[in-house]
Amino acid sequence: MLVLRPVEPTDLPQLQQLARDSLVGVTSLPDDREHLSGKIAASCASFDSHASAQGPENYFFVLEDLDKRRLVGCSEILATAGYNEPFYSLRNRHFTSASRELNIEHGVPALSLCHDLSGHTLLRGFHIDAALVRTPFSELLSRARLLFIAAHAQRFAEAVITEIVGYSDENGHSPFWDALGKHFFDLPYVEAERLCGLQSRTFLAELMPQYPIYVPMLPQAAQDCIGRIHPDGQEAFDILEREGFETNSYIDLFDAGPTLYARTANVRSIASSRIATVREEPLIDARGRYLVSNDALHGYRAMVAELDYQTGQPLALTPSLCAALNVSHGGTVRVIAL
Amino acid sequence: MIVRPVQVSDLPALMTLVQQAGPGFTTLPANEDRLTHRVRWAQRAFAEQVERADADYLFVLEDDDQRVVGVSALAGAVGLREPWYNYRVGLTVSSAPDLGIQRQIPTLFLNNELTGQSELCSLFLRHDQRHGSNGRLLSLGRLLFVAEFPHLFGEKMIAELRGSADEQGCSPFWDSLGRHFFQMDFSHADHLSGLGNKSFIAELMPRQPLYTCLLTEQAQAVIGQAHPNTEAALKILQAEGFAHKGYIDIFDGGPVIEAPIHNIRTVRDSLELSLSIGTPDDQAPLWLIHNRRLENCRITVAPGRRVGSSLVIDRLTAKRLQLQPGNSVRAVPLPNQQQQAVAA
Repeated sequence: MLVLRPVEPTDLPQLQQLARDSLVGVTSLPDDREHLSGKIAASCASFDSHASAQGPENYFFVLEDLDKRRLVGCSEILATAGYNEPFYSLRNRHFTSASRELNIEHGVPALSLCHDLSGHTLLRGFHIDAALVRTPFSELLSRARLLFIAAHAQRFAEAVITEIVGYSDENGHSPFWDALGKHFFDLPYVEAERLCGLQSRTFLAELMPQYPIYVPMLPQAAQDCIGRIHPDGQEAFDILEREGFETNSYIDLFDAGPTLYARTANVRSIASSRIATVREEPLIDARGRYLVSNDALHGYRAMVAELDYQTGQPLALTPSLCAALNVSHGGTVRVIAL
Repeated sequence: MIVRPVQVSDLPALMTLVQQAGPGFTTLPANEDRLTHRVRWAQRAFAEQVERADADYLFVLEDDDQRVVGVSALAGAVGLREPWYNYRVGLTVSSAPDLGIQRQIPTLFLNNELTGQSELCSLFLRHDQRHGSNGRLLSLGRLLFVAEFPHLFGEKMIAELRGSADEQGCSPFWDSLGRHFFQMDFSHADHLSGLGNKSFIAELMPRQPLYTCLLTEQAQAVIGQAHPNTEAALKILQAEGFAHKGYIDIFDGGPVIEAPIHNIRTVRDSLELSLSIGTPDDQAPLWLIHNRRLENCRITVAPGRRVGSSLVIDRLTAKRLQLQPGNSVRAVPLPNQQQQAVAA
């Protein structure tokens, strides 16, 4: 049985193993004990906080295999991108070259460093065990964050974004980085991403070009990276795209991966999830597969379950599901079709 | 040989000359209407009928048989009628001492900083005349003119030297930069520029600074590099104190060289002397000599011997200068180098 829950201090050793396996570019999850332990502490404080408004909180979730007592994935929500430090992206917009006299007018795309995405809620740090890729559990790992936002809307922004890991080859070379960032850092991409995870990302962003970068001046291989997704980032992208997220004109400043954006209220799992009263029953005549969560904070739990759910009706849960979800007969859960 | 102001009667000879110069000579295109217009303006400039902003002093080099064999020009001021653009090669530093990062990135800044300065331009010397002191007379004669009439010019004299290009006339700098904003090849842009559309073109360029590390390696390599054809002209002007201070042409990346007018060797070292006719000896040094007139300006190179405040020259030289003994001249020893200016 796999359950998603907030991270706890005792998760540190396993989390470090997860970090070791995670994809380069998931900069919020570096393989560094001290750093991870700090992240866990910050997350515990966030779940414990009595925030009545959007703040600096970072909610760190882990996916645990209860039978094997093993962590198989993790994901995060940063309540406010750019709260404590500027959140940088590259905006891809057209610079218009126009001359009436010469009868010329055409647009040249240009990338400009910006803070436009500051203030939005940021989904990040999505990592799942390779064996669980493209299973209902990766849906759980990603979307349970959305159910959490639905339950605690006052803690989050009106828009939610995420950055999808951009393209790099099997040797960890990012053509976009090689064409741009490398000139300003003199570091390989992998090293830059590692530093980003450890140090503040802002710190590195401030070394990035402050003037616009005209796209046609980049080598073709780098241009092709703009908005291109790393193959291992495709699932994270697909899940959120089905939730109603869309790409926009913002890309990651290191690897040019796309940004996904959605109005919080329009996200499918937020808009369409329903509250149901729990009826504990020994057996369920399951009719479909659902994501189900309690609406707690520190005790937050979310699972994938085969249920017999009808809108407006009490929801039957087995005692083991109730236990795993930290709910009892007469309590409420949030539910949405997988 | 003398350098003198152009006249309308020079037009047929001038046309033949610029045809020989070819399409690369964009500031003086082989277009009869444009050439006529320019000659008429030049005449008005020498007659002091135009403002500095419009002054275009076009000189010809004429041999003793009154054949025009070369041309050169001086603009009173650039950028006062329409914007004059250059890139300045500046620097951006990307620094993070803790990480051992210290990157210096040359950066191109679009600017109009040379507005109001005077310009040396449009020099061409017929191929069969590129010997002796002809190139120096044609190029430096202009500077002696400036020495005589400094009030007609700005604080600095500049010259844009043609940038590096391959045999087909393709500019690596243009291909890596300008082309993206114009969607036309360099020769077309260069042609439009010669027709006087330079500022229109410049207005299509991005206003924001450009990091040179994002240009192709070939383009980076030619920043501030003069075309090999301009090497002789460059050397003549460098000997006069001209230097590249970081300004380049926005199209081909060629260097703009500059000098404060009062520091130019020919201006600084020129003397007001009284002309006397005699026989300078065989070893007498060559002097660049100006008759100190504006509309009837005559400049030549001849052996001369300085005696006190007099310059002794032969009778033929005085005749070329249209001067009598006792008249005042402005003169400066010609630098002792064998360089033939053929461009700029």
